[in-house]
Amino acid sequence: MKQFAKILKFELKGYLRNKIFVGITIFLIVAIAIVMFIPNIIAAFQSDDDGEAITTDLPTMLIYAEDENLSAIVSEYFGNTFVEYNVKVAGGSLDDVKNEITSGFAECAFVMNSASSYTYYVNNLSMYDSNTAIADTVLQEVYRINAMMQNGLTPEQVGEIMSVQIVSSTETLGKDQMQNFFYTYIMIFALYMVILLYGQMVATNVATEKSSRAMEVLITSAKPTSMMFGKVLASCIAGFSQLVLVFGTAILLYNVNKNALSNPLIASIFDIPLELFIYLIVFFVLGFLIYAFMFGAIGSTASKLEDINTSVMPITFLFIIAFMVVMFSMSSGSVDNTAMLVCSYIPFTSPMAMFTRICMSTVAWYEIFISIAILIGSTIGIGVLSAKIYRVGVLLYGTPPKISTILKTVFKKQ
Amino acid sequence: MILELKNIDKSFGEKEVLKGVTFTAEGGKAFGLLGRNGAGKTTSIRILMNVFPANSGEVFIDGKPIDYDKIGIGYLPEERGLYPKKIIIDQLVYFAELKGMNTKDAVKSVDYWLERLGMTEYRNKRLDTLSKGNQQKIQLITALAHNPDIVILDEPFSGLDPVNAMLLKDVVKEQISKGKIVLFSSHQMSYIEEFCDSIAIINAGKVAISGDLHEIKRNYVRDKLVVSTTNPEQIKADLGNSCFKRDDGTLLIQLGTPDEKQAMMKRLVENYDIDEVKVFEPSLNDIFVEYAGEKI
Repeated sequence: MKQFAKILKFELKGYLRNKIFVGITIFLIVAIAIVMFIPNIIAAFQSDDDGEAITTDLPTMLIYAEDENLSAIVSEYFGNTFVEYNVKVAGGSLDDVKNEITSGFAECAFVMNSASSYTYYVNNLSMYDSNTAIADTVLQEVYRINAMMQNGLTPEQVGEIMSVQIVSSTETLGKDQMQNFFYTYIMIFALYMVILLYGQMVATNVATEKSSRAMEVLITSAKPTSMMFGKVLASCIAGFSQLVLVFGTAILLYNVNKNALSNPLIASIFDIPLELFIYLIVFFVLGFLIYAFMFGAIGSTASKLEDINTSVMPITFLFIIAFMVVMFSMSSGSVDNTAMLVCSYIPFTSPMAMFTRICMSTVAWYEIFISIAILIGSTIGIGVLSAKIYRVGVLLYGTPPKISTILKTVFKKQ
Repeated sequence: MILELKNIDKSFGEKEVLKGVTFTAEGGKAFGLLGRNGAGKTTSIRILMNVFPANSGEVFIDGKPIDYDKIGIGYLPEERGLYPKKIIIDQLVYFAELKGMNTKDAVKSVDYWLERLGMTEYRNKRLDTLSKGNQQKIQLITALAHNPDIVILDEPFSGLDPVNAMLLKDVVKEQISKGKIVLFSSHQMSYIEEFCDSIAIINAGKVAISGDLHEIKRNYVRDKLVVSTTNPEQIKADLGNSCFKRDDGTLLIQLGTPDEKQAMMKRLVENYDIDEVKVFEPSLNDIFVEYAGEKI
């Protein structure tokens, strides 16, 4: 136990003195701070400008119709709807309109064939161009208003019909996927990044000790179990502190800038319920540990640092598959599909899968309990096994042995 | 204190690495563990240090199974290496702490050894800024700082210049005089001959010979004579195939049996101009070649 504490202390000190580790942490904190202050900064600049000369830089949208009456009506409605455009009635011929677009003077043009038929001209059609959809809605409205007026309704009656308000409310009895989506997404992504990053760090750390032959002294000075658990817990503490610092800064600065950051989307990220926060920590720590142990064991079988990347590939693949299953299920909106149900009990996938299901669906307490119990048991088992692999692995030099050969050696000893 | 390895067997998979290795080393004396590359020296050392268990056999201290919590072992591995990017004092203190010292004592002891080996100026430097010889001295501190009862030195003199080799000799003598068991493993026979009172030669996982070095030499078959003479060519011509000229100009005469010694000496003195004639005493090198040489 004393040895374990010494190893933990030494490894943690190593992280704190690692310039890259400290650099990344500071960079992330500064980046978060900038993002959080951006609305305030923009607001400050905007208040100076007082909204002057906003229209000057707007792109031009041309309306062209042979019937001048039609072009006047459409440009009036479009002018009110397309506020991000400077809507103008085009004179001249259709070719003049096309020229103005290709020369860059105007961005797009609606050439009206009739009140309910038009051709949309644009130079490069953007993936996100929704102008035609908006135009369709506006023109339908114009058509309906005209039709109603022609059928003898007064403008007041038409106004009343068109402006009818539908009152609705949604009562969520389970989980609100919309609201939980973003923080689940962020947490799963953070888990993914941290596990891969720190797992790789643990593997490299072990392989460095081996390749520098410091292992020769270490293995004769400390128990492999202490070495493995010390290293992995140190990386866990380092990774967790980094996250706490980064997310802590984010939460703190969010509260400082709460008024400027009134966006409900951002608010939903920070309004994580305490219960979910506790689950997050449990799954995070266990998921981190189980992978870090595997990475450590793999690191011990590599003789050279160059071997690490190929050696860790099976674990990385396993992890990426888990990540993909969760991400696809999240975006499809059905987090309770069969793949997710299975994944929430497999210890290598449950940290992400079960956490996502808890966040975005309704999961019975015993399901969560079983999943966590399996995960805890497996983490301890993998930890002990990885320490055994470590003891065999660190003394083997040359071509990295097959994992099956090592396991055979480990179990033969017992 | 007496260290005994008794009937140690060890295999890795199908390969039998050690077959009944047995030897005894005493406190206050240096013990030489010899053998060719791959003979099983490092495996024996690792079993002694409890890095992995033996398949059978046991390690004893003063007749009782060794208690690793009570007996401190210092090890200078043949494959040198510590943390190249870490500060020297930090890693030395870390290794001493792993061996059970508290931080205060560890710092004190490491500082003593840095001073003793003339390395104090590098205390707060990174290891990779040092020359190879100096890195080796730092590595030696990891083996000695925790004041171990058993000191195991694997090829301690390789890579050291004559001045540093002299310094290391002094340190080793000091450890021996403190009553510790000093276990040498080396291919440099001159150092083993200089320090070690007893040896064990391991060949293909078996102890080929072990015991007191002087006794081993004395028990060596006394059937060769070394002759210093002014006319070696004539003797060589007369004795034929049983006479060899050595590099130093003396002659080595192989006798049929040790009993022929007196007769041959008399014959040489009476018939030739002889400066000196004596029974051939083997060097450790000769013994090593004989016991570790051909049987692999």
